[in-house]
Amino acid sequence: MVSEVDRLAIPRTVRYCYLTKMARATNPSFLNGVPELLVLRLLEEQEMYGYELVQAIRSRTGEVITAGEGVVYPVLHALEREGAVRSKRRAVSGRSRVYYSLTPAGMRRLEEMSGVWTRVADAVQGMLKGGQDAEAV
Amino acid sequence: MRRLFDELRERLLRAGVVPQHVRRYLAELSDHLADLTAEEEHAGRGRKEAEAVALVRVGRLDELAGAMIERPELQSWSRRAPWTVFGLGPILSLGILYFVACLILWSGWRIFLPGSEKPFVRLDGFAVLYFGVGRLLYYSAPILIGWGFAVVAARQRLRVMWPILSMVLLAWIGCVTRVRTIGPVVPGDVGGVSMGFGFGPSTGETLIYGAVMLSLMAAPYLVWQWHRARLAV
Repeated sequence: MVSEVDRLAIPRTVRYCYLTKMARATNPSFLNGVPELLVLRLLEEQEMYGYELVQAIRSRTGEVITAGEGVVYPVLHALEREGAVRSKRRAVSGRSRVYYSLTPAGMRRLEEMSGVWTRVADAVQGMLKGGQDAEAV
Repeated sequence: MRRLFDELRERLLRAGVVPQHVRRYLAELSDHLADLTAEEEHAGRGRKEAEAVALVRVGRLDELAGAMIERPELQSWSRRAPWTVFGLGPILSLGILYFVACLILWSGWRIFLPGSEKPFVRLDGFAVLYFGVGRLLYYSAPILIGWGFAVVAARQRLRVMWPILSMVLLAWIGCVTRVRTIGPVVPGDVGGVSMGFGFGPSTGETLIYGAVMLSLMAAPYLVWQWHRARLAV
């Protein structure tokens, strides 16, 4: 069976790039925003420093999501630049730690990202189960 | 570990990441490594082995650098728009400092020399200090600003051309700027202070003044560059 995409008169590689770009443009959080979503969700509960955040992500996701642990800091710095989190340096047990907490803008961002993620996950789940009508994300 | 951090710092600064974020990132990574090492030691590993495992867990150099560099919001303005920062920045800064210097001159004239035809007369007491601050600001402003932009360029590992561009602009404006005063129209009132551009009575002297200013501005930065190049060899 020839799909809609296969009928397009453009090379497969170009088609792939186009579709990937389209997916990113319409749904960036699905592809790029997972670390941000997890960090915001954890900071919603309480303020944390980087090491605590990484440990929480590891344990809450059953160690499914693992990456170089240091890469959580660029995510935090970027979220701070956007005003979604704020940082505060605090001395704990003789060591200075940078604690992060959620701002009202971060709360709104979390709600927005959670909504998109839930719809995307439901749509993918629906497809995997063989459903035909997925709600447009 | 120190080598990893030194290399990471250089990579991030060269890629244009804001120095403040680089400093904090390295501090946080250092703390993270200490926590991981303690965790691994607690799990029964020896010190050396714990440090090695902690290094692997924190991530590879490429991964750590890439995660920071690929975020455009963490890029400094001097990297995003160097022409604006090093071209317009010095001119604006110099304009502000010159305005303050003129304000000091005008207010000093009003406070200490009411009714005087011009503010450039023999002074006594506190007036010497007041006018001295304005004069110091006027003459040192281009050099101070030039040094400031050199520090920015050095911290962010920018190409030599950018701070030199700022310094040339500052030296040029600094040497051709002239302060003019206009005596009071009504006797007992205070005159006005304005600024203009020109070579004055001697073009040669003006240009020598500009060259001296440029040398004073550039010397510390060029010595620093030379020292860095020597260390790198």
